Formats: sequence, structure tokens, C-alpha cells
Amino acid sequence: MKHPGRPTSLQARLLVLLLGLVTLVWLGAALLIWSDARHELDELLDGHLAQAAALLVVQQTHAEDDAVADAPSLHKYAPRVAFQVFHDGQLVMRSANAGTAPMSTRNRGFETVRLADGAQWRVFVTRGAQRDVLVVVGEQTDSRSSILWAVLRSMLLPMILALPLLGLAGWWAVRQGLAPLRQLSHLLRQRRALALEPVDLPNMPSEMQPMVQALNELFERIERMVASERRFTADAAHELRTPIAAIRAQAQVALGAGEDQPQRDHALQVTLAACDRAVHLVEQLLLLARLESVPAKRFSSMDLSTVARRVAADLTPTAIAWHQTLELDADQPCSVVGDEMLIGVLVRNLIDNAMRYSPDGARVLVSVVTENGKTVLRVEDSGPGMTGAEMSRLGERFYRLLGSDQPGSGLGWSIVKRICDVFDVKFETGRSSSLGGLAVMLYWPDAR
Amino acid sequence: MRILLAEDDAMLGDGLSAGLRQMGFLVDWVRDGVAAERELVSGNYAAAVLDLGLPKKDGLDVLQSLRRSKIATPVLVLTARDAVPDRVRGLDLGADDYVIKPVDLTELGARLRSLVRRSHGQVQDTLRCGAVLLEPASRQVSLNGELVVLSTREFDLLHVLFLNAGRVLSREQLEQKLYSWGYEVDSNAIEVHIHHLRRKLLPDLIQTVRGVGYTVPRTSESA
Repeated sequence: MKHPGRPTSLQARLLVLLLGLVTLVWLGAALLIWSDARHELDELLDGHLAQAAALLVVQQTHAEDDAVADAPSLHKYAPRVAFQVFHDGQLVMRSANAGTAPMSTRNRGFETVRLADGAQWRVFVTRGAQRDVLVVVGEQTDSRSSILWAVLRSMLLPMILALPLLGLAGWWAVRQGLAPLRQLSHLLRQRRALALEPVDLPNMPSEMQPMVQALNELFERIERMVASERRFTADAAHELRTPIAAIRAQAQVALGAGEDQPQRDHALQVTLAACDRAVHLVEQLLLLARLESVPAKRFSSMDLSTVARRVAADLTPTAIAWHQTLELDADQPCSVVGDEMLIGVLVRNLIDNAMRYSPDGARVLVSVVTENGKTVLRVEDSGPGMTGAEMSRLGERFYRLLGSDQPGSGLGWSIVKRICDVFDVKFETGRSSSLGGLAVMLYWPDAR
Repeated sequence: MRILLAEDDAMLGDGLSAGLRQMGFLVDWVRDGVAAERELVSGNYAAAVLDLGLPKKDGLDVLQSLRRSKIATPVLVLTARDAVPDRVRGLDLGADDYVIKPVDLTELGARLRSLVRRSHGQVQDTLRCGAVLLEPASRQVSLNGELVVLSTREFDLLHVLFLNAGRVLSREQLEQKLYSWGYEVDSNAIEVHIHHLRRKLLPDLIQTVRGVGYTVPRTSESA
């Protein structure tokens, strides 16, 4: 996600944050120092004013002459400092820069006033104990500000100079800190398309571990998928080549049979059967491939009982040929969400399997019922059933029961499982309580 | 030549065994790995055709345990696994040839003959003993350049003796190499065939080692 105006580089983001925070802290510190220094300075200089006033009072108590005296200006700061001394309301002494009018109208204490010269003055007024001495001492407030500015300048200047250096150092530090990230991206960029071994960084920071772990888990999942696809291709090659090899061998046998008519007939019969098997296999593979990309929401409401009846009717001739009993218990219409063609394939596969893997004369029972609001399709047989290990391998493509002579493609269960996934149908296998063989249960989700 | 065919697919196994029989091979067909190993351990087969995806025991496992127990019977692996690593593994585990399905039957026969020939240290495709020349591919025998008509069994017997020239083979060994399953072997069948061969070819071609068996002398390879 890109936000306009916000730096997308982690490095730039960290650097901006860092420098911004440092500047803020510095400014805050400067503000604090400013107010603290001003306070201290005010106290100190006020103290000096009061001290100077006290000195003048003491001096005036002993002075006898009545002439107005102008004190000489002795220092470059002198024009910024001024005083007046009054005896009984009469100005008796003043500094050169102090006017004749009293600088303050107050009787006693500090005051900040604007005088005739336009400048602001801090003035302290005090009275002597005798002869009605009034002393006024003033100081231009400007001088205080310039002292404060000088203090702040001396503090802020190095800070401003240090900021670029700090930025440079910060940039380097952030870059160092982000090195493992760069290393990781470099490592990933260098990989070949299907290099799926786990990423391993030496000295990986703990913050990156969850990410790298998730990445490795993803690699593992992809690896399993790729391996399964590879196995499928190898198995499919085997399953497709074997009937073709049989067709070729049998055709050659037929050609080479010469006068041996029964041998030629047999070879041609087997050739045809092998062709049928190859066709069946190709159809199953195509169906499986189509199921991989079934549009998820193309389903309509349909009656499962009708489909079960239709499939059972289709398979009844085969059951009769094998002396098997195919029973159907699907009297009530059961509406489920699905696709008539695919559900038909599903039911056919289940019944076909039950019949194939049960001996002649066996019973196969198909029932469609509603239990606790859920539609259940159950296919049971009186065959040998399966062991737990065999059941757990059902649905692996091309997995066939060992020792079974049935010419299945090994794809039936894969197709069953895939169709169940498409329609969100739960698939269970177990032992039939009534017939003793395998029982397959399909649970449809609650129809809404 | 007696060949063991290990193939679990009924249609293919049926076709292969019928085709190889047409070419004069004696074929025994087993459908799982355990049976294949049991039969090959007996050592009665000139060669074996082994599918890899066998039930009960995988073909490669069969091959490995055979070679571990020093059984040198030539094995031709016939499989649908065509990836190069599979082929390499098959050959490394001791397969003498590796053929991908589907295979031409005549080619399969030629490869088997070649395997048997090489396993007996022969370089040429014909076998000669004195004035008698035997051609396994065409199943013809000639004496001084003239064709001699032999029965199937007589040809097979002569072929086995020629392949094992210089070695003495007992009657039981010959029977095991010449009769596939399901044949009732008369106790004097071998003697009868030997007698016919001597009559049709040369009287002193096959020598009897009393109490042990029969042999043909090893001659130089010059044809």
C-alpha cells in the first residue's frame, strides 16, 4: 500500500522519524533552558538592582550637599543602567541617562515601565529611613533579552551544526540495522524458480524470524504440492503407457499368430479390452482435470434420490451379471445443492466400487436419508471391507488395492473426493453394521 | 531359452508372454515382486523381464536383493518410469537393460537374446561348435552350411548346451532350463532329445559324462 507523501523506504522512514524526534527534543530542551535562564537572570539582576538601590540609600543618608550631582558613566553597559535619588521630593542625584522626572510612580518595589526614551526599563524603588530619601534604580530590559539570546545562541548553534552529522550517522546506523533484510531479499532474488529449500540466514534478528518462518512454511507447502504434481505425472505416465503397451503387444501377437486362430482371436479380444481401458482412463483423467477448475457457484438445487435411482437403474444389469443384489432405499425426495451430472458421477463411482470390490453374490445397499436435518447418502456392501491403512490412502490418485484384479483406473476415489470438495460434502468411510463390508457415507451441508 | 516375466498388468502380461512364446522363448509369468524374487533365486532362467511397479515388492527392491545375493541372471527392466534419474537408478541397481513401455516385441526378443549371449561371454550372435552353426535369432541350425530341421525342444536343448560349452550340465539342470511351468517332463525326455540331436547332426557332438551329465566341447570363437 502506498500513501502519498509518506516515504515507502523503511530506511527513509526511520531516518525521518529519528531526525524529527531529535529536533523536537532539542527544541523542547531549548525552551526549557530559555524559561529557566530568564527566571534566574531576572532574579539575579533584580537582586543587583535592589543591592544598588540599598547602596545609594546608605550613601545618601550621610551626604550633606544639596546640589544635584550627575554620576559619571563608567562602563559600556552604563547607558543601560540609570538611577535617581530624591530628597523630600527633590532630585538630588541621578545618572546621566536618567531624566528629571521620577522613573517610577510607585512608592517601593519593582516595576517594569516604558520611559520617555521609548525603551522598556525594569525599575526598583526604595526609601531611606531618614530625611525622606527616595532612590530609584532602573535597568533597560533589552539587556536581559540580549543576555538570554546569547545563552540560547551558544546552545543552539552547535545543535544545528550537529544535525547533518547526526543525520549521516543515523543513516549509517539504520542501514546497518536493516542489513539482514537486504540480505534476505538478495537471497530470495537469486533463487531459481523451484528452489524450495528453507531460507537460512546466519544471525537472523528475532524480529525477522516469524516472517522467515512463515516464508519457509510456504515453501514447504509449495514443495509438497509440486511433489504431488510430479508424482501424479509419473503415475499418469505409467497408467497411460501400460494399456498402450498391452495394445501394442497384443496386436503383435495377433499378427504373429499365423495359423493359430484361437490365439489371434484372444489377442484381438484383449486388444479391444485394453483400448476400452485406455479410453476409460483418459475420460477419468479429463474429468479430474475439469474438476480442478469447476466454477464454484454454478450449482442448483437438485433431488439426490432421483439421481441415486437413475444411477442404480443404470448399474442393475451389471449387478445381475455378477449375481449381486443392488438395493436402493431412496423413497423420499432429498433436495441438495449440486450439479446433476457431477453428483451422478459421484454416486456411480461409489456404487461401482462397492460392486467391483465385492465378490459375486454380494449385496450392495444404497440409501438416501435425512438425519438431523442433514442429507446422507450411504453406500454399503457385504464385501471384505478395508483396513484402516487402506482407507487412509483412498483418494490418492492411482492408488489401487493390492491383489485386486479389478481393471480400475485408480482414479475413482480421487474423483469422488474432488467432487465432495466442490460441493462441500463430508466424506466418511467405515464398516457397514448391517452388511459387514465397506460403508461410505456422504453428508451434505444443511440445505438452506 | 527360459525367461521369467514379472508384470502385474493382466493384459500386458498376457500379450508379452504370448509374443515371447511366438519367438521361441519359454516364458513363466509372475504377477508380483515376491514371486519374481523367489523364482529368480532358483537360477533356472536365462533372463528376466521385470516391471518396476510390482505389488508386494517393488521391482527395484527385487533387483537389489537379487544382486546382493550374487544372482547374476540378466534382468531387463520394462517400465513406464521414463525419467532419467529412474533409468540411472535402475541400471545402477543392477539392471542389464532398461526399456520404456510400450516396447516392440521383436525388439524385446532381440534385447533378451543379446543379454543371454553376453551373460555367457559370447560376442557374436551365432554359436559354433565344430561343423555345427546355431543362429539364435532365426532359430536355425546348419551342419557344414546345410540347414538341419530340429524340433523346438531339440533346438532349445542344443542352444543351452552351446551357450554352456565346456561345462557339464546334469539332466535336472537341463530340464529346469528347458521346461516352463505346467509341463510334465518324462524322465527320459532329455536322453531322447540328445539321441535325436546326435542322429541329425554329428554322433560325437554331444558327449556324455557318465553319472554327471552332458557337454559340448568349447571351441575357438572363429565362426
